[in-house]
Amino acid sequence: MPKITIDGKTVECRENIPVLRAALEAGFEVPHYCYHPGLSVVASCRLCLMQMKMPHPKTKELDWAPKLFPSCQTPVKDGMEVKFDSQLVHNNTNHVMEYYLINHPLDCPVCDKAGECYLQDYTEDYGPATSRMVEEKNKNPKKDIGSQTLLYQDRCVLCTRCVRFTQEVAGTSELTVINRGNRGEIDVFPGEPLENPLQANVVDICPVGALLDKNFLFQQRVWLLKPTKSVSPADARGSTVYIDVNDDRVWRIRPRFNEKVNEWWISDESRFSWQHVHSPDRLNIPMIREESALRPTRWPVVQEQIRAQLNTVASDGGSRVAIVLSPMMSCEEAWLLASFVRQSAPQATFVIGYVPVEGTDQTFPKGFVISAEKCPNRRGVETVIEQAGGPSASWDEFLTKAGGGEYRFALVTGGYPKAWIDSTLADTLRKIETVVLHDVWASALDDHLWLQLPSATWVEREGSFMNADGLVQPFDRALKPLDGVVGDGQFYYELAGHQGLFRSRKVRELMAAELPTFGEVFVPREEPEYAH
Amino acid sequence: MAYDKVLLKRVGTPNSVSIDTYKADGGYQGLAAALKMQPGELVDLVKGANLRGRGGAGFPAGVKWSFLPPDREVTYLCINADESEPPTFSNRVLMEEDPHQVIEGVIIAGYATRTTTAYIYMRGEFTEQYHVMQKAVDEAYAAGYLGENIQGSGWSMNLYVHRGAGAYVCGEETGLIESLEGKRGWPRIKPPFPAVEGAFRKPTVVNNIETVACLPHILSRGMDWWKSVGPEHSLGPKLFCISGAVNRPGCYEAPCTITMRDLIYDDAFGGGMRDGKKCKAVFPGGLSMGVLRGDTFPQRPAGSKIDLSEDHDELDCILDFEDIKQYGMLGLGTAAAVVVPEDVDIRDVLVNTCRFYAHESCGQCTQCREGTGWMYSIAKRIRAGAGRSVDLDLIEELTNNMGMMPGMSICGLPDGAAWPIRTLVQKFRAEFESYIAQQHAGSVEETIRRVNPAAYELPILGGRQMAPAT
Repeated sequence: MPKITIDGKTVECRENIPVLRAALEAGFEVPHYCYHPGLSVVASCRLCLMQMKMPHPKTKELDWAPKLFPSCQTPVKDGMEVKFDSQLVHNNTNHVMEYYLINHPLDCPVCDKAGECYLQDYTEDYGPATSRMVEEKNKNPKKDIGSQTLLYQDRCVLCTRCVRFTQEVAGTSELTVINRGNRGEIDVFPGEPLENPLQANVVDICPVGALLDKNFLFQQRVWLLKPTKSVSPADARGSTVYIDVNDDRVWRIRPRFNEKVNEWWISDESRFSWQHVHSPDRLNIPMIREESALRPTRWPVVQEQIRAQLNTVASDGGSRVAIVLSPMMSCEEAWLLASFVRQSAPQATFVIGYVPVEGTDQTFPKGFVISAEKCPNRRGVETVIEQAGGPSASWDEFLTKAGGGEYRFALVTGGYPKAWIDSTLADTLRKIETVVLHDVWASALDDHLWLQLPSATWVEREGSFMNADGLVQPFDRALKPLDGVVGDGQFYYELAGHQGLFRSRKVRELMAAELPTFGEVFVPREEPEYAH
Repeated sequence: MAYDKVLLKRVGTPNSVSIDTYKADGGYQGLAAALKMQPGELVDLVKGANLRGRGGAGFPAGVKWSFLPPDREVTYLCINADESEPPTFSNRVLMEEDPHQVIEGVIIAGYATRTTTAYIYMRGEFTEQYHVMQKAVDEAYAAGYLGENIQGSGWSMNLYVHRGAGAYVCGEETGLIESLEGKRGWPRIKPPFPAVEGAFRKPTVVNNIETVACLPHILSRGMDWWKSVGPEHSLGPKLFCISGAVNRPGCYEAPCTITMRDLIYDDAFGGGMRDGKKCKAVFPGGLSMGVLRGDTFPQRPAGSKIDLSEDHDELDCILDFEDIKQYGMLGLGTAAAVVVPEDVDIRDVLVNTCRFYAHESCGQCTQCREGTGWMYSIAKRIRAGAGRSVDLDLIEELTNNMGMMPGMSICGLPDGAAWPIRTLVQKFRAEFESYIAQQHAGSVEETIRRVNPAAYELPILGGRQMAPAT
């Protein structure tokens, strides 16, 4: 590992990274716009310039070179000495920050980026207090560049991060710079809007308020939002995300850096996967069939009823009992339910629930993958089923057998982002005498259900998902469940006979005794502040 | 001045563009001599000749060639004929009038660098020149000077003439390479330098057209002749352009021993000022190298040292790669002088200069993108009769911070913008101040209130003092 000296402090850094990155990782603050660790280096913002010791051209003695070097473009070399805290560097940052604001409209009060804007932060930390610009400002247009994004060109600092993103990560190259000099603008080609499955990432990487998310436009001030670390349920990749919440409502989802899975990006599917959380159509009261109609009941009653029913139908060991574990469940929930059922019905069949698949995996130039499997935890649930032992069946096998009338009792879990039981499926499931459905949505099967249990969405739960590569990643609860709903984990926790509050960490410890895979979860590296 | 023209010798002679007249005048003999040598020997020869690049920076061509990695497989040679520096038109004369001299130089340079593909990158506005050049290239192919197995040497090279889309920044070597590759002409960050990773990510040499045009003469006339022309540090014949208010504007050839005064007043060159006016200012090396004071200023007392803070006549500046720097110039540049007569308002000169750079800044680096535009706005306001003394300080500060030393930005454009603007404001400060003093009271406030009401309300009209950039 190379050792370099930054402002007199010797730090060890990773190989082959720019000095800027090394300084940020060592806790130094270096302003920058155009540098992004996931994109190529253009060194055009000239904000991260540093002083460096170089051999004197004549005497060959090491001394501070008279000019400044872009730290984003200079790779670390063992023994190098650089300086960010010097008058020369401060003068440069001060001047560059003044330049950035001369044509900026200073409309922070109506800008969605305010509060997390690098232009605000750097101006406060490094910029001059007033501008000497008394001329008329350039007025650049607002542009509607795609279905998810708006471009406020007058706020742009032309760092070209978005252009490089569409070229290098998305590989679609919709964005470009048009015109020259200070008349330069980001734009799309005529008739070719910014449309790709990763498009909204340009909003995150924009260091200023130039690119904005249409869904988030004028919705919230960012300083009111509380971020929660979560994992996206949109596909089997398990992209790590932040869920930004305020007033018991999700406002947006942002990518959370993950060196093993999604790096700095998420797909638009992940980003907008929260819309159903606040759907008015969600179920929120547990219902039980009494006198041929579903009537509201209470959660403790539900538990007693399930236990009693299971004891009755499983008197032969449970060979006519099916438990459908949805791939939307967390590992902990699946394990709690499975271990509960195995106690009373050792011969019950565990079924891996319906796995939605759309098309094929999409791989992007720098290796970002959008999985075709649109559920987060198929592997996790499969692992739990495998470990639980006893009979198991695939979804198709289950449907065949159910159609043949082989089951008397089934507990079906759902939790998909949209209603998924169509009339064909409902007809098949009708062949089962007693059906418990734990799901988010009402369905065509409701007239046959014995118990209809409302499920919480992943935003309201905590636990872990095992992604397509077998990586177990925990996610936290961002919201409390909808009124009337008990979190799935809590429900199964109590059903399995545990007392107190369901905590996923505690459950994972229990699981680890049987399944060492869940003993250790993967938590991505924290990126330094202002890393990108 | 007795000087036997070399580069421009055939200019104006009948049918000078054809290969037959060129060969009859002794053309392609330099190439024959070069092909007898090993490429390495040729590089050493050019290094020994200290042939300094004619494009503007004056970097020795032989040294540039020696930066190429020795174990390279492919080399590209780009001949820079973008010629986008204002008042410069010497490359154009070479291409229009004597294209084979250029092609012979390209072939020699290609042989020395073991190039297999060479490009002549021309600015987009060169339409006629393009056809002349292309015809000459076709002739050279037909005569076996280009293509497979050139003159039986076993070495092959193709030459393509390429026209850009017309941008100043594409004259910068990496901007040229990007443009040649079909991309937006945005200069690349260095390192890696083109010699290591240039066109199509392969080792590349970029030479100016005038530089390679010197090569046939070094080989055919010999080193003794070469070293007899011009001073030690600026050897060889040089093309000078002069335009503006002189009697004989045009492109002239001379060794690097002439002074600016010769170029303007000598009958062999500019032939004196038009209408007997005096010269107020002259940009001696294209716009970007800075400005010299003309003879409207008093002569420097004999024997005294050059002091740029004194308003003295600076026309005695020798036009070579070194002496010119004493007068605050960035370098010799393209050696294309533009002469400003005494009756021109210096504020117009400032507006014109600022406008050029604001228009041509590519927009990558922040200082250059915003600074050039800002200075243009300030210059326009000063021209409109609403200047302030503090604006002059501000312009100076902006130029200091944009191009306080070469190498602070991706390319040299901000340095090239800073130098003329800074020298203009410094050397002609008294004239600017006198205009500002003549403005009617309140003009500044009125103008600023009109263009930017917000600024008028702020307590910044007096200007803010900042620490100097260096």
